[in-house]
Amino acid sequence: MNIAAMATPAGQTAGYRALVRRKRWLLLGFLVLTTLSLVLDLALGPVGYSVKEVVQAVLWPDSVPLQLRVVVWDIRLPTALMALAVGAALSVAGAQMQTTLNNPLASPFTLGISAAASFGAALGLALGVALFPSFAGYMVPVNAFVMAMLSAGLIHLLSVKRGVTTETMVLLGIALVFTFNALLALVQYFATEQAVAAVVFWTMGSLTKATWPKLGVTCLVIAVTLPLFARNSWALTALRLGDDKAASFGINVSRLRLQTLVLISLLAAFPVAFVGTIGFVGLVGPHIARMLIGEDQRFFLPASVMTGALLLSISSVVSKTLIPGAIFPVGVVTSLIGVPFFISLILSGRGRSW
Amino acid sequence: MAIDRRWGIALLTLVSVGVVAAGIFLLDPGRRADSAAAAALPPQAQRVTVKDLLGREVQVRVPAQRVILGEGRQLYLVAALDTDNPIQRIVGWRKDLIQADPDTYSAYARRFPAIADIPTFGGFEDGTFDIEQAIAQKPDVILLNIEAQRATDDARYIEKLAALGIPVVYVDFRHHPMENTEPTMRLIGRLLGKEARAEEFIAYRNAQIQRVSGAIAAAQPARPKVFIERIGGYTEDCCLSFGNENFGKFVEVAGGTNVARGMIPGTFGQLNPEQVIAANPDQVVVTSANWEAYVPSGRWIGVGPGADLAEARRKLEAYTRRPAYAGTRAAQDRAFHAIWHQFYNSPYEFVAIQQLAKWLHPALFADLDPDATYRELHERFLPVPYQPGYFVSLDGGASPAAKAAP
Repeated sequence: MNIAAMATPAGQTAGYRALVRRKRWLLLGFLVLTTLSLVLDLALGPVGYSVKEVVQAVLWPDSVPLQLRVVVWDIRLPTALMALAVGAALSVAGAQMQTTLNNPLASPFTLGISAAASFGAALGLALGVALFPSFAGYMVPVNAFVMAMLSAGLIHLLSVKRGVTTETMVLLGIALVFTFNALLALVQYFATEQAVAAVVFWTMGSLTKATWPKLGVTCLVIAVTLPLFARNSWALTALRLGDDKAASFGINVSRLRLQTLVLISLLAAFPVAFVGTIGFVGLVGPHIARMLIGEDQRFFLPASVMTGALLLSISSVVSKTLIPGAIFPVGVVTSLIGVPFFISLILSGRGRSW
Repeated sequence: MAIDRRWGIALLTLVSVGVVAAGIFLLDPGRRADSAAAAALPPQAQRVTVKDLLGREVQVRVPAQRVILGEGRQLYLVAALDTDNPIQRIVGWRKDLIQADPDTYSAYARRFPAIADIPTFGGFEDGTFDIEQAIAQKPDVILLNIEAQRATDDARYIEKLAALGIPVVYVDFRHHPMENTEPTMRLIGRLLGKEARAEEFIAYRNAQIQRVSGAIAAAQPARPKVFIERIGGYTEDCCLSFGNENFGKFVEVAGGTNVARGMIPGTFGQLNPEQVIAANPDQVVVTSANWEAYVPSGRWIGVGPGADLAEARRKLEAYTRRPAYAGTRAAQDRAFHAIWHQFYNSPYEFVAIQQLAKWLHPALFADLDPDATYRELHERFLPVPYQPGYFVSLDGGASPAAKAAP
C-alpha cells in the first residue's frame, strides 16, 4: 500500500480489494499445492503402480485387480487422506488456541492435550488399563481421547474462574504438559521393555494407524467445528485486538472463549487419539498461515486448514520415501521439515505476525 | 522451666536415636544373613579372571554363590546349569521374566515356591537397578545384559561396585543370539562352577542348530521369502518386523529370505504395509503371545506354554485378511504361522529355528520334530515339565515347497 492509496477513501477501498484479491490467490495456491501433495502421496509407494493405474483404481475400484484395489483403497487412500484431515484439524485447533488465548505459544502440544493423550495411550499399551472398559477393542485411542478431553476440561474449568487471565491459562497448560510427561515416564518405568517400545512408537506419531472409520470421525469433527468457527470469524478477529476492545464491539468474550475452547478440544483430541502425537503441526501450521495471510479470520481459518494439511501431507510423502519400504515416524518428519521453513519465515521478517 | 524442657527433649532425642540404631544393628536380618553367607564361603572358592561379552576382563570369585540377574530371563540359562534348584544362588533379579513371560515364571513358581521371595527390581531402561539394594545382597557377581552398558556406565556403577569387590559381568543372548548365546552360556557355566554342564548344553544346542543348517547347506533348497510380523496384535499398527538380527537371522538360518532384511536398518523396525505386498512373501510368520493383560480381546495369538491351539488357529485366520497380505503368495497358499514371541530373547531359540525350517522346507525336514526337541530340552536340562503350544499354522495351509515336492 502506497501513500497515495492511503490518502483517499476510494484509494483505501481499492487497496483493500487488492489485498483481499492477493489473499484469495494465496489460498488458491495452497489448495493447488495440497492437491499436488495428495496426488503425490497416492502415486508413490513400494509397489510401483503408474499414476494411470492409481487414478483408475480410485475412480473405478471394481475394474482393477484385487491387489491394486487393496493398495489404493486400504493402504494409500486412508493414510493420505488422514494426513490431510489430521493436519487440518490440529492446525485449526492451534490457530484458534493462539487466537483465544492471545498467545503465540498456544497449541494442542504446548497446552498438554497431546501429553495427556500420550499418557492415556500409555496406560492402555503398557498396563492394559481401559478407561472405558466397554470400548476395550479400541482401548488405546479411547484412553487417549478421554485423557485429552480431561486435560482440556481442566483448562476450561480454570478459564471460567473469575480473575483468570489468558496468561494463567497458558501457564496451567504448561504445568499440565509437565504433569502428564511425568506420569508418562512413571508408566514407562513400570512397563516391560516391549511396552515401552510400543509407547515410544505411539508418541512419535504414525499415520499407518489410519482406517476409514477413524478418517470419517476426524472429518466429521472438522465438518462440525469449521462452520461454527466461520460463523464466529468476525468476533474472533476482534478478539485479537484485546478483550476490552472486543467487548466494546458487543462480543461476549468469556462465552466466545469457552465455546472456542470446547471446539478446539474436540479438534485436537480426536486426531491425536487416532495417530499419536504429531504436535508440531498445531503450533507451526497456524503461524505459517498467519505470516503469509494475516490475522483476518476469513482468510486465516482456511489458510490454517491448508498449511496444516499441506505440511502433514508432505511429511507423509517424505516419511515413506526416506527409507524405501520402511516407515519413518511421521511426527519426526513433520518437525524436521517444518522447522527450517518456519525459521526462514521468522527470520525473513515478512509480515510481523505477533 | 523452659531450659528443663529443652534438655528433656534433647535427652529424649538422643535416647531414641540410640534405641533405633541398636535396633537396626541387632534386628536387620539381611546383615546377619550376609555375614553368615560370607563366613560359609566354600573352601574351594578361588579368584579367576574371566572375559565377558564386551571383552572386559573381570576378576570373579568362583563358584559364585550369590548372583544377581540384571535380567530375569537369564534364568533360562541358569536353570539349565543349576537344574536341581535354579534359584538357590539368585539373590535378586529384574522383574522382566515375571512381566514378559508369566507362564514360564508360574511353571517355576509351582516347582520352587521360594522364587516369589527373590527381591526384584524394576527399571524401564534395561538393566538399571538400585545399587544400594544390590550391595545389600552382597552378591559374588552381577550379570547384566549388554544393553545395560550405557546406563551402567553413566551411573559409574562398575567402579562403585568394584570398590566393594562386587564384579559385574556382561552377557548377551538377544542382540546377537546366534553368535553370543554360546559364549554367554560358557561364561555363566564358569561363574557357577558348572563348566561341564554348560558344555553339554552348548553341544546340544549346536547339534540342534546343525540339524537345520547342515541340511540347508547340503540340499541348497530354493529360499522362500518370509515376512515376520513382529508382536502381532500388540498394537494396531501393521507390519512391525525384524531386520537382519534375531528372528530375521533365524529365518535366514532356517533357509528362508527375510523380506525386511536391508529395509530395517537395526534389529527392530516397521515396514510400509504396501512394501509387504510388493515383496510378495511366500510365507508369513507372526510372533505373538497371550497379551490379554495388555490388549484385552485383542488380535494377538495366544501361543506359548500350554496354549489352546484351536483358538490360536482361529485368531491366526484373521491375519490372512489383512490388507498388507492381499494377493500375496502367502495369502493364496494360506501359508500363515504363529510362533511364541519370547523366542526372541531366549537361549532356546534353536527350537524356533527348527520350527521355521520345517515350515519353510516341509519335505526336507519331514523327520524333524521341533516339539520333540523342546520336550527333550526340558527333560535333559530343565527342572520344569514341557507344555506344548508354542507354534501354530493354518489348517490346509501349504507351503510352495510342499507343492513343488511331488
